[in-house]
Amino acid sequence: MTPLFSALLDALDQRMRLRAPTKKAGAKVFPSNWSFLLGEVSMISFMVLVATGIFLTLFYRPAVDPVTYAGADAFYNGVDLPAAFESVVRLSNDIPGGLLMRRVHRVASHLFIASIVLHMLRILLTGAFRKPREINYHIGIVLLTLALGEGFLGYSLPYDSLAGTGIRVMYSIILSIPFVGENVAFWVFGGEFPGEAIIPRFHALHVFVLPLLISALVAVHLFILVRQKHTQMPRPDIDGHKFVVGKPLWPGQAAESTSLVLWIGGLLAVSAAFIPWSDINLLGPYIPGEVGNNAQPDWFLFWTDGLLRAIPAFEFNILGTTINSLFVAGALVPGILFGALFAYPFIERKVYGLEGDWHVLTNPLEVPLRAGMVMGTFSFVLLASANATNDIISRMTGIPIETLVFLFRVTMVGLPPLLAWLAWRYASRRLASVGTTVASREDEAGSRFQYIGLGDRED
Amino acid sequence: MSTEPEDLGGYRVLERHVPDASAANDSYVAWTAGIGGLAAVAFAVLLRLGAPLGLYGVMLALSCFLLALAVRRYFYDRFPEVVAAEPREVYQPPEATAATEPSLESPLPRRNFLTKVLVGGFGAFGASLLSLVPSLGPGVGNTLRQTPWDRGVRAVTGDGEPVRPDDVKIGSIASVWPEGSIGFERSAVVVIRLANPPEEPTNMAWVVDDTLVAYSKICTHAGCPVALYREQDESLFCPCHQSTFDVPHACQPTFGPAARALPQLPLGVDDDGFLVALGDFEELAGPSFG
Repeated sequence: MTPLFSALLDALDQRMRLRAPTKKAGAKVFPSNWSFLLGEVSMISFMVLVATGIFLTLFYRPAVDPVTYAGADAFYNGVDLPAAFESVVRLSNDIPGGLLMRRVHRVASHLFIASIVLHMLRILLTGAFRKPREINYHIGIVLLTLALGEGFLGYSLPYDSLAGTGIRVMYSIILSIPFVGENVAFWVFGGEFPGEAIIPRFHALHVFVLPLLISALVAVHLFILVRQKHTQMPRPDIDGHKFVVGKPLWPGQAAESTSLVLWIGGLLAVSAAFIPWSDINLLGPYIPGEVGNNAQPDWFLFWTDGLLRAIPAFEFNILGTTINSLFVAGALVPGILFGALFAYPFIERKVYGLEGDWHVLTNPLEVPLRAGMVMGTFSFVLLASANATNDIISRMTGIPIETLVFLFRVTMVGLPPLLAWLAWRYASRRLASVGTTVASREDEAGSRFQYIGLGDRED
Repeated sequence: MSTEPEDLGGYRVLERHVPDASAANDSYVAWTAGIGGLAAVAFAVLLRLGAPLGLYGVMLALSCFLLALAVRRYFYDRFPEVVAAEPREVYQPPEATAATEPSLESPLPRRNFLTKVLVGGFGAFGASLLSLVPSLGPGVGNTLRQTPWDRGVRAVTGDGEPVRPDDVKIGSIASVWPEGSIGFERSAVVVIRLANPPEEPTNMAWVVDDTLVAYSKICTHAGCPVALYREQDESLFCPCHQSTFDVPHACQPTFGPAARALPQLPLGVDDDGFLVALGDFEELAGPSFG
């Protein structure tokens, strides 16, 4: 510790008695496994998003009234554009560093959501959601939902032609909610689509409400993590149920995290230097009644768009309300998927009669239900996502769109259950072949020391 | 490497690798941190000089990468690498402690009633705040069932020009709006000149010149504009979710997730020879709602 740093710590200690808590915090142990860094990657992306977002919001104009752009972009010079779109064109072309900030913000948003999804996948596969960590798992799902919302709001704000189309589809999905849809849609949009209220509202939600919620929930997420201590991979040399093994925060993990921040910053910067993330010149401003080809949302909402394309047409009136395929695809199925993710820890606990606390991670193949559930859910989401590109696949391969949609419908219904069953059966047989079953208590399970079915225990 | 367990601030040390400081390591840190700092300066200077993004972006990235290398080596050269075990807290059921603590609650039975009233009061307070929610938007009323189309309203292009039937040639389509409401999204209409007169269940009274028909441009599925016209089978195609509408047969859906036909606009010609509406849509324009 450098003399300057220890003098500062001493000065603070005299005033706030900080030495003991600092020492305790520095002693927190972090298991070293690459997959444990995924959550950290999403937190770092969030910090980059906040920093670049502050810069962007100083230039962004949340309005849709027409403004004549005058500036360096030859294509739009002298053209009337919606104020929001105009401010983005101006920031990108006439403010030094503006385009860098925009691109870094955009690519960081991709990394933010991708790392959250992978983090969740790791939590699910290894069983880190089990008691006592269900609450943190649920907070994580809420964070994923908020991140998806932030992503949607963020790509809506430039008010380019894809953004306007995406907002329209979202508005239509809200409209389709039985009984209350039209009222809720008018409350959210301040009237009928497109209207003048939606861009200012999306802006307020995107830069204030959702970031505040995300920050608060990240704080709770981390507080609970510290309180409960990390899970860890099984180690033959120590009982993971009683101890957590890894690098202390100071200095080992601090070095790891600092260099991770810098690696991510460098990757974001180099990709922003060469890849035209969110190039709105390719899209043009939103004009009501106009849409181009390749009308896809951002990748993280492909699965909902794929569902919209896949669920066949139907519409009927019942009990004075209308139920249609848009409601089923846009609200009901996503709701069921998230509900299933939410309920899964309780289902696993119930099915296997699990008792007590669980701190040691498992190979997903040690719990057949979990292997099947993750395989089924994620293959479904991936297939639905692929279906969101069916128009592009059709154009590239020459297969008629009708044939493709039929194939996707069949595979989306048939393949995930089949894969889930195969994963479940493989895992069950694997357990049987080593002559064991899913343990109901961790404190006496062999999985504390060694993945089940991967060779003999090393004592 | 020492494997002696050692209690150090709440954790036990399992492994401890003491680094050997060397001149090579020192120069590694000095070079990476030094060039990293220079790259950061280059980023700032290039940005201010108006250099292209590719150039200063790379400098920023280079600076991050070099500093990352420097930090890592700086730490690992100066601090022992420790693998430690921290004991987990074990849950203690409350029965073990409850007996020794005196109860703070008064045993009076009416406390139960008061608690209920208090909770009810707070519940009413919270629920009453929901009264603000309907202020967020205007009442829906009949607005979603109407559009600005009405008897005698001219069809105009996006530039406000009225349209004559002859302006729309065979195989072509025109996007039109009700005059005075350009950009009112749900009133967007496509006027299409078919090769042959349309068939059932098209309302023939709303067809001009036997072959000129007008339909809502807003898809009945999710509200995207049905912007693509395929001439070979005279169908309208939505680029969002691929709903396809058979124009000669009253724009009934033939494929995709749309369940309802695009509503037909009652189309006519006014005394000056321009296209007008004979009334509003009779069916719901745009997607259905709950």
